[in-house]
Amino acid sequence: MDQLLTKTENISFMAALVAYLVTAAAYFFYAVAKKEWARKAAYGLMCLAFGLQTVSIVVRGFHAGRLPLTNQYEFANAFAWGIALCFLIFVRKYKFDVLGTFIAPVIFLIIGYASMQSREIHELMPALQSSWLGFHVSMAIIGYGAFGVAFGVALAFLIRDTFPGSLAGIPNNETLDRIIYRAVALGFLFLTLCMVTGAIWAKKAWGTYWNWDPKETWSLITWLIYAIFLHLRLRKGMTGRKAAIFAVAGFLCVIFTYVGVNTLIAGLHSYK
Amino acid sequence: MHDTEMQQDRTGIVRKILRFLSGMPFSFALLVIILAACAAGSIIPQGKTLSYYFDAYGATKGGLLIGLKLNDVFHSAWFLLLAGLLCLNLILCSISRFGKVLAAFRKTKHFGLWGSWLTHLGLLLLIVSFAAGQFLAKEEVVYGIAGSTQPLGRTGLMLTIDSFNVSLRDDYTVEQYTAGLTVTDKEGRTVSGEASVNHPLDAFGYSFYQDSMGWASWVDIFKDGQLVKTDLICAGEYTGPDELPALALFFNKFYPDFGLDENGYFTSKTPLPNNPYCLYGIYYEGSLISMNITEPGAPIDVHGYSFVMRDPTEYTLIVARTDPAAPAAAASAAILIAGLVLAFYVRPWEEKRRKENGSAADKD
Ligand code: HEM
Repeated sequence: MDQLLTKTENISFMAALVAYLVTAAAYFFYAVAKKEWARKAAYGLMCLAFGLQTVSIVVRGFHAGRLPLTNQYEFANAFAWGIALCFLIFVRKYKFDVLGTFIAPVIFLIIGYASMQSREIHELMPALQSSWLGFHVSMAIIGYGAFGVAFGVALAFLIRDTFPGSLAGIPNNETLDRIIYRAVALGFLFLTLCMVTGAIWAKKAWGTYWNWDPKETWSLITWLIYAIFLHLRLRKGMTGRKAAIFAVAGFLCVIFTYVGVNTLIAGLHSYK
Repeated sequence: MHDTEMQQDRTGIVRKILRFLSGMPFSFALLVIILAACAAGSIIPQGKTLSYYFDAYGATKGGLLIGLKLNDVFHSAWFLLLAGLLCLNLILCSISRFGKVLAAFRKTKHFGLWGSWLTHLGLLLLIVSFAAGQFLAKEEVVYGIAGSTQPLGRTGLMLTIDSFNVSLRDDYTVEQYTAGLTVTDKEGRTVSGEASVNHPLDAFGYSFYQDSMGWASWVDIFKDGQLVKTDLICAGEYTGPDELPALALFFNKFYPDFGLDENGYFTSKTPLPNNPYCLYGIYYEGSLISMNITEPGAPIDVHGYSFVMRDPTEYTLIVARTDPAAPAAAASAAILIAGLVLAFYVRPWEEKRRKENGSAADKD
């Protein structure tokens, strides 16, 4: 039974990894060739990849007997899953398939990062045995997914802005701008929820809800950047190119909070 | 004439200053500086010894770093000042916007209008609650073995550790640390319960956290066959005869299941006390004169004294904390989140409805 579950998880995960790569290629082809059948194929592939990845997550959760959201592998996998989910929702809502050209490679990179992590299932140390951790990470996945979508739309915006007429079937600037705003707003709400649930968990586990550790501090930095974005947009009418650049910068900050803090800052400390 | 002109001038200046302090350009400046301070505080290791910074960054840079308090950004006066200015900014802008929001709300009855106002209020209260917590929070640390009772720092409470249990899984990873505790106040009232990781015990306004554990050992000290002292020490602590303070036994490390690893180093094969050994050092007048491992119960003879380490026991470290401002922080966060939901999800919906109703939507 154990072996069967491990096998199912591994196969569905690897298949999802490959499917996302093919999806990325298909979307690229669609962006260049502008054929309707290519759009349908790419969308179908994305759904397939998403389905496979969902299977791998569900099977792992069942196997481990807990939410599979606790180590680098599990979180990276869920992070990619969250972006794919937000993408599928936004595509349905805004009929904006070219977005896949930018989102699918991001998803592939993140699931690729996951594939380099150990997939062994470990029992949780006591500090991680908390339902608040589950809430905390779920909020992060949705928030990061939304920021990822804003990032992809912003890239599309910037590319079309730089090379007019380059992307097929892409909504007008105003719509893009609105999608970026809606996605950032969603991400901001969930990043806030992520930080608050994380604080509650920290209070339960260690007795203080905010300790200025690098991860916390960088999520605050990310939060402040997006807060500045929202204000610039609302009050100073920042739209278009500037807003798009902000959305890209914000997402880089998200990625840094997620991967960079663990590797770079921890590394800085250990080399000194 | 001249006087009132000056007065007008002065109120004009005051008004300008107030407008600046409540305005968004000021917020942007503050937020960007705070952002940079946070980045610095996360990249530069915080709260190390001063010599660390001189070693790591050199004399000039290290000195500059310490002078600017970059070794402890988040508790520095200038960071506090920045937070204070942000609060001032939030207060002034909330006051100045309150009238407008209220008037608009009276006209339209759209609750979404309160969204950003509530967001700012929540944030303001959150910063204030956090700052209050920095001053009001108290922390006491106690460690001991099961059966011990000790005063809890300056709180006037007594803490008894009734039991301490580490539950292990089959692969010897730790499933949970659980301490049974009884807290007694000055009037003799008691609260008993368990504290385990992620499940603190609440008593008399404090939360008791199971923080960490280690091994302790009893030490009997004999002189000429006579017991002169019995002491309980944790790994990392000393003991010695009272008549000869120059002589001390240092309890270095405990191996519950002693063995050698593949490189020939001491190790513990499991966390269970199957084959217990203590690593100890004997110090005389401050210098190490011998270091060895001993089985519990075996005598260690030195300078006419005999030390016997016996009955190794797990001790637990309990941290008691209180932050009277934490509930206020939680309430502030709830206001902040409610504000965000109103700002993002109640308002656009109404805008849409307004548009569908065909009325000229008054955009911000
Ligand atoms: C990190 C700090 C801050 C956060 C997280 C924050 C959050 C927000 C949010 C979420 C909105 C609504 C945005 C939208 O609907 O798109 C908003 C709007 C606004 N904020 Fe802030 N804010 C912050 C600081 C400030 C400060 C210091 C000021 C003071 C000048 C300010 C003034 C405003 C104004 C005037 C609006 C527009 C209100 C409206 O038209 O509804 N904000 N803020």
